[in-house]
Amino acid sequence: MATSGTIDFSKTRPVVGLVGNPNSGKSSLFNLLTGLRQRIGNFPGVTVEKKSGTLQIEDLPPVEIIDFPGAYSCYPTSLDERLVVQELTNPKGDLFPDAILYVADVTKLDKHLLLFTQLRDLDLPMILVLNMADLIKEEGLQVDVTALSHRLGVPVVAVSARANTGIAELKKAIGGLLRDPQAFRPEEPFYEPGVLARDVLADLRQELPARNDYHALLLAHHASWLKHVPEETRHRVQKARVKNGFHSLRAQVEETMERYDTFEPIVHDTVRRAGAKASFSDRVDDVLTHRVFGPVIFVVIMLLLFQALFAWTGWPMDGIEWVFETLGNTVREKLSPGWLTDLLVDGVIAGLGGVLVFVPQIAALFLFITILEEVGYMARAAYLFDSLMQRFGLNGRSVVALISGHACAIPAIMSTRTIANWKERLLTIMVTPLTSCSARIPVYVILISFAVPEGSFLGFGYQGLAFAGLYFLGILSAMLSALIFKLVLKSQERSFLMLEMPDYRTPVWRNVGITVWQKVKTFIMEAGKIILLISVVLWGLSTYGPPAAMEEARAQVQKTVEEQGLDEQAAEDLMASEQLEASYAGHIGKFIEPAIRPLGYDWKIGIALFSSFAAREVFVGTMAIIYSIGSTEDELRIRDRMADEINPDTGQPVYNRATAWSLLVFYVFAMMCMATLAVTKRETGGWKWPIIQFTFMTTLAYVSAMIVYQVLS
Amino acid sequence: MPFPRSTAASHFVAGMSGTIERFTNENLACKLLDIGVRPGSRLRLVRKGPFGGSWYVKIDQQCLALRKQELACILIK
Repeated sequence: MATSGTIDFSKTRPVVGLVGNPNSGKSSLFNLLTGLRQRIGNFPGVTVEKKSGTLQIEDLPPVEIIDFPGAYSCYPTSLDERLVVQELTNPKGDLFPDAILYVADVTKLDKHLLLFTQLRDLDLPMILVLNMADLIKEEGLQVDVTALSHRLGVPVVAVSARANTGIAELKKAIGGLLRDPQAFRPEEPFYEPGVLARDVLADLRQELPARNDYHALLLAHHASWLKHVPEETRHRVQKARVKNGFHSLRAQVEETMERYDTFEPIVHDTVRRAGAKASFSDRVDDVLTHRVFGPVIFVVIMLLLFQALFAWTGWPMDGIEWVFETLGNTVREKLSPGWLTDLLVDGVIAGLGGVLVFVPQIAALFLFITILEEVGYMARAAYLFDSLMQRFGLNGRSVVALISGHACAIPAIMSTRTIANWKERLLTIMVTPLTSCSARIPVYVILISFAVPEGSFLGFGYQGLAFAGLYFLGILSAMLSALIFKLVLKSQERSFLMLEMPDYRTPVWRNVGITVWQKVKTFIMEAGKIILLISVVLWGLSTYGPPAAMEEARAQVQKTVEEQGLDEQAAEDLMASEQLEASYAGHIGKFIEPAIRPLGYDWKIGIALFSSFAAREVFVGTMAIIYSIGSTEDELRIRDRMADEINPDTGQPVYNRATAWSLLVFYVFAMMCMATLAVTKRETGGWKWPIIQFTFMTTLAYVSAMIVYQVLS
Repeated sequence: MPFPRSTAASHFVAGMSGTIERFTNENLACKLLDIGVRPGSRLRLVRKGPFGGSWYVKIDQQCLALRKQELACILIK
């Protein structure tokens, strides 16, 4: 640790923390330093995403780099920011860094140095990284790096994460600091605790396990929520605060003002501006955030986005489909017929293929959303819709979650951490899963062909319009549900917008690529695992059954075949369907059939619904298994098999218009994703909200699907 | 057009600008100070947001979105 003079690297690998304000280009620098050598996990005890990676510097052991969430100061307003303060005030913690790379946007140094001076007063070995050095010339800036380093007392390195310059120099500086952490100890603090804090500090200084005065002051401010402060100390801090009339907010204002007064002259002396010119961002915002054009442009962008999503992903999807079909046929040819082959081909390969075929669409969706985020448009969208969102009990920032929810509800729910107001955040978490995530795409694609005829109106295909309609239905239901929650829940907590709108930038393609790659990888791994498991279980359940029932079914088929003189093919098909009905899966399906009969579903759909509650995309795989058991014609696609399915009671196709629409509506509303519920539980800190979420969404799905079926049939 | 005298920023219309004198709400003051908005900063109301209620505000070089209630806590001279 930093206090121990020299670091013994033979035992532990050195830890370097990347810290900086939001929009300082911290993540770009992280991607540049670590490339794809990144691990994503969670910070211990909280669900804030922790990105870490390794960096090799000369002869040092591999350095672990941790990308801390962006923070403005040591007085956090969001959960993400709290984490930074928590880890950096806990010298005994595993994540306490041996050195800090403090990333600041060189064009905004007059603001970004606030947190820097605070961390510096904690006596942490630091390097100041002036990011966006490529803008120095462009904006007519002149920076005296040597003088800045001298005045601040730390090494200063100018880099451009965008143009990939200055990295070698930065690595050298990191190596130097890690070898000799004592070289840049601060001589005097930037800030001495003022009148408002002096008394409480005098009382607590000796009792708190603090490295210095400022560390003690931060503990006095934040003891109530810092996890590493023991209960007993918390009480003592609270007593001292009351006794001395310590007013945390006022002390914070005093400190912040004084810090600005201290570092402003330093910035003034070392950074020279060429004079402000009307920036490109301002001119773009004249149009994009216009009162009338702004929202219109937003809607157009969204329409184009979804149009592109389906127009551009056709051929890679066909390719993937072809690969899995070929693979399935090859495996069947090479292996001897038997249960193992059936399981592999009908279960695993068909199930995986059914889901992987949607990877291009998911990748494209994440690509677009990441680009919008990188460019800086998401903050504008939040501004445009804040007033509207407020009427529904949400925050402008909820727009970001509601848009990302169309890719996947899990990152969308995590993105709500930027909403400081608890009620607004909770509402966003509750309704985000109603937006149609990419896992619903496979289900929609298959069912729409039964619900809507082919053909077009004014150049728009009916099926495409239906698709758009389902997305719209998702958004509409999300907003209306939010409104209902807003009226039910009461909250006195003050809500803020106060949103920074960063300058528009062309996206750093490296960042976009890495983000999309990580999301797609996670989807494949997670979905793959679930589908593999469900395939095996479902295959087992539908192949085996209670011995007596299976035997009876076999005898029954034998009798029918002899009586009616069926040929071999017909006998085999009859045997397959009778055996499925007698199997365990058949029993489960039959058991829930009465409950789903009013929705227009038979017991086979019941099995698919049942398994979908693990994850929606399983629907397609389940269909593949249910309709392929025993059938010898493997070339038929799932869709064709479903179309062939006849209701034995009515003689009509099972998948008629009413049933297909009913299923579609059910899938729009139903909460069928265990992973989302798990995230809701973590983010809301208990089982209450995920249970409410599951109940309201599934009830909504059941009731609406029933209404749709009863009206259409 | 300059602000006539010390008044809350929420009372003005698009295009007006002035210098921040102080904040009347400590909670908001802390948040604004954190992102670099201080007494002495130059504030300009650039445009009103759609659906009413929020404002596109330029403070020094920074673009911010602020609600009307938030502007009400900023005194301009």
